[in-house]
Amino acid sequence: MLLTLIVVLPLVGFFINGLLGNRFGKPFVTVVGCGLPIVAFILAVKSFLDLMAGGGTPIVETAFTWARIGERSFDIGFWFDRLSAVMVLIVTGVGSLIHVYSTGYMKEDKSFARFFAYLNLFLFFMLLLVLGRSLLVLFVGWEGVGLASYLLIGFWFEEPDNARAGKKAFITNRIGDAGFLLGMFLLFWATGTLEMDRINAAFMSATAPAVSASLVGILLFIGATGKSAQIPLHVWLPDAMAGPTPVSALIHAATMVTAGVYLVARMSGIYMHAEAASQVVTVIGVATAFFAATIAVVQNDIKKVLAYSTISQLGLMFVALGVGAYSVAIFHVYTHAFFKACLFLGAGSVIHALGGEQDIRRMGGLAQKIPVTFWTFVVATAAIAGIPPLAGFFSKDEILWFAFASERGGSPVLWAVASGTALLTAFYMFRLVWLTFLGKSRMTPEVEHHVHESPWSMTGVLAVLAAGSAVGGFLALPHFLEPLLPLPEIPEHLHHLETPLLVASIVIAFAGLAGAAYFFGDGAVRAARMRGRFPGLHRLLSGKYFIDELYEQLIGRPLVWISDRVFLRTGDRMLFDGTLHGLAGLARRTAGAFSRVQTGNLHLYAFLVIAGMAACLVWSFRHG
Amino acid sequence: MLLLLAMALFGLGLVGVIVRRNLLVMLMCMELMLNGVNLSLVTFAQQTGTAAGAVLVFLTFVVAAAEIAIAIPIVLVLVHQRRTLDADAYTDLNG
Amino acid sequence: MVATLNALLADLDTALLFIFALSAFVGAALMLVLRHPMQVAMALISTMVFLGGIYGLLGVHFIAAFQVLIYVSAVMVFMVYVIMLLDVRDVSFKRRFSQWLVPGVAGGVLLVGALGYGLWFGVDRIATTTVSFGLAQFAAAFLSEYWFQFELTSVLLVAAVVAALAVIKGSRRRDRG
Repeated sequence: MLLTLIVVLPLVGFFINGLLGNRFGKPFVTVVGCGLPIVAFILAVKSFLDLMAGGGTPIVETAFTWARIGERSFDIGFWFDRLSAVMVLIVTGVGSLIHVYSTGYMKEDKSFARFFAYLNLFLFFMLLLVLGRSLLVLFVGWEGVGLASYLLIGFWFEEPDNARAGKKAFITNRIGDAGFLLGMFLLFWATGTLEMDRINAAFMSATAPAVSASLVGILLFIGATGKSAQIPLHVWLPDAMAGPTPVSALIHAATMVTAGVYLVARMSGIYMHAEAASQVVTVIGVATAFFAATIAVVQNDIKKVLAYSTISQLGLMFVALGVGAYSVAIFHVYTHAFFKACLFLGAGSVIHALGGEQDIRRMGGLAQKIPVTFWTFVVATAAIAGIPPLAGFFSKDEILWFAFASERGGSPVLWAVASGTALLTAFYMFRLVWLTFLGKSRMTPEVEHHVHESPWSMTGVLAVLAAGSAVGGFLALPHFLEPLLPLPEIPEHLHHLETPLLVASIVIAFAGLAGAAYFFGDGAVRAARMRGRFPGLHRLLSGKYFIDELYEQLIGRPLVWISDRVFLRTGDRMLFDGTLHGLAGLARRTAGAFSRVQTGNLHLYAFLVIAGMAACLVWSFRHG
Repeated sequence: MLLLLAMALFGLGLVGVIVRRNLLVMLMCMELMLNGVNLSLVTFAQQTGTAAGAVLVFLTFVVAAAEIAIAIPIVLVLVHQRRTLDADAYTDLNG
Repeated sequence: MVATLNALLADLDTALLFIFALSAFVGAALMLVLRHPMQVAMALISTMVFLGGIYGLLGVHFIAAFQVLIYVSAVMVFMVYVIMLLDVRDVSFKRRFSQWLVPGVAGGVLLVGALGYGLWFGVDRIATTTVSFGLAQFAAAFLSEYWFQFELTSVLLVAAVVAALAVIKGSRRRDRG
């Protein structure tokens, strides 16, 4: 009952705010919209305590039976084990904080009620996703969060660009979902069930199911690339920054984009027996991480930098998954939720303070003017850069260690690329800090006059998230998840390298900080000189490697051509309309031919009477 | 034989409607057709001995009278407009 | 003596029947070829009278009376009046026959042939019999078994009167307005 309640409470919030919100005003919407997620969080804590009291045995609840086909039945069931507990607590905890933040950020907006309704809807679907027992329920949640994402990205839909961004997100997701569905079909066909615990058990048992685990793994991973913005389906996430900043924080940083990571971690039973699939995951993860980090270095919109940073961090999580360190990936999800949400909400606070300005080339010198925002942003940046003892250091270091040493695919090359990504991460994040907050002000006078610190509903949340980013790393999640998701084996001869690599990652983090200070500390003069020396590279990176244009040329234009030439002109106009018009024309011409009998001449009519009568008589006499 | 006559009268009446041009002559040929039918009815009534045939003959008389009472005014109105009794002049309801 | 007279009378009946039938046929055939509508009307009247005679010979005297009363004296007189009223010397006078002469005759031959064929293989030939319908039986049948049809005919006549009035009044209004 408790799990169903956790899932359903946000849905109730959606209906109440959606239907009655506008009538009852903003305070009502705030209470309902924030209160219900907070209650869900409290219930989640209670469930977690129940789980621990039971020694970690999963709590199972079946809400109802959706369909029964033959002897198979498809139930809506909820499954609460250690992994679900971590995810639910992150979703409801960080989610509630972001709801509270939104009351301040969206205060002036005229669609206040609609925003909270959509946020609650998103929360409902996300909870379905993480609490679902079967892939079917997970998929419902998967699609639902895609829908909520579309609604929220295009929240200010009066601007056509925003609507277009929402559409792009949804469609890109759907492409990934095709792979997901195929994977689901294969799993059902091979194991006869869609319930994830039973699937994992089937794959871990002695008699493996009659399907290639790698094939299923790759198909499910295709779905994950769509949802978690990995190559090649990453193109929607930067555009999704068109939505309000709380949306970017909640959906595109803390929760929805981690659904892909959750999926792979949950189906670890499959991936442990799928070498090829795990390799694919690793390669794509590290490639995406590096690729996105290089782009983030030259972005000038504060939110775009954070978007590419998210893509890069997700890539690192997939690296961890690929080498078999599933719990480490979830650990990074947890720490990432804190510092990325803090960064995004901090960016939102900056944008709010500057009255809408998002270009960091027109910022600077904000540290004294908005101190709370500044300090929380710095803490979160240090966390993401991996500076000890903040949270990001712990999780990133674990990832790098397993990337190097795991028996299931770890290699020095992998470690090197991932470390390069970490270096770039520290570099561009501190670049962001310098250009936004420090140095001389490059703001226009009206904007500068307008600068003010955000209300406590926003800064309070920032403080909580910054605190989480600071100390959250001490919560040893991999150890907590070990009974469920065991860590991969490390070969004996590599054990002694753990400490040197730890030191190396700390050095990398500070190197990134130093580099940023060097290039951007003096008002970005040295950076401008650098840009002058490599114009081609700069253009490539600024244009995001022109991937969007490539897709447009390779996929978009041919599709439009086919749709226009083949389907519209030939198929629809010539065949269908032609057939219909042809039939109508045929009827008209036949009728015209037949109507020539009606001459109006009475003699003809009388003759037809006599002829017809004679014919009928003759016929009747012949046929008895 | 009387049935033969009835058939012949009916056939002649129908052919008359087809071959003659004058509207009034066509009407009279239609009367001829009705007479042929009447004759056959009387013949059959006499054969079977029931009263139904005779009743039907009487009804045919009434119908013929009513018909002529309407048809002739219609012809009068038509001729009043077009000034000709030629059936081929009245072909407006074509197409 | 009486027997032979009866036999002779019986023969006379048959002979008269034959004569009347032939005459009726001739009158009908003449209808098709005469030029002036008045001549056609006369031919029709003769046919009708001969038919009345046939009905009388068949024993249904009241129907014979009705034939003459309704058809000849009402319908044909009306027809004659109209022929006198209208100017008949127009195109249909000069050219009697329509375009459909040949096909019409062919169709008529075909029809009568088919009907005769059916008659040949179907019904027995009849002659005059002694069974005759009395007016009393006829009236009784009308008022008891076929009263509904009787009422319907009165409705039909009323409808005819109204329709005739409507046609004439409508044409008169069109002329005036």
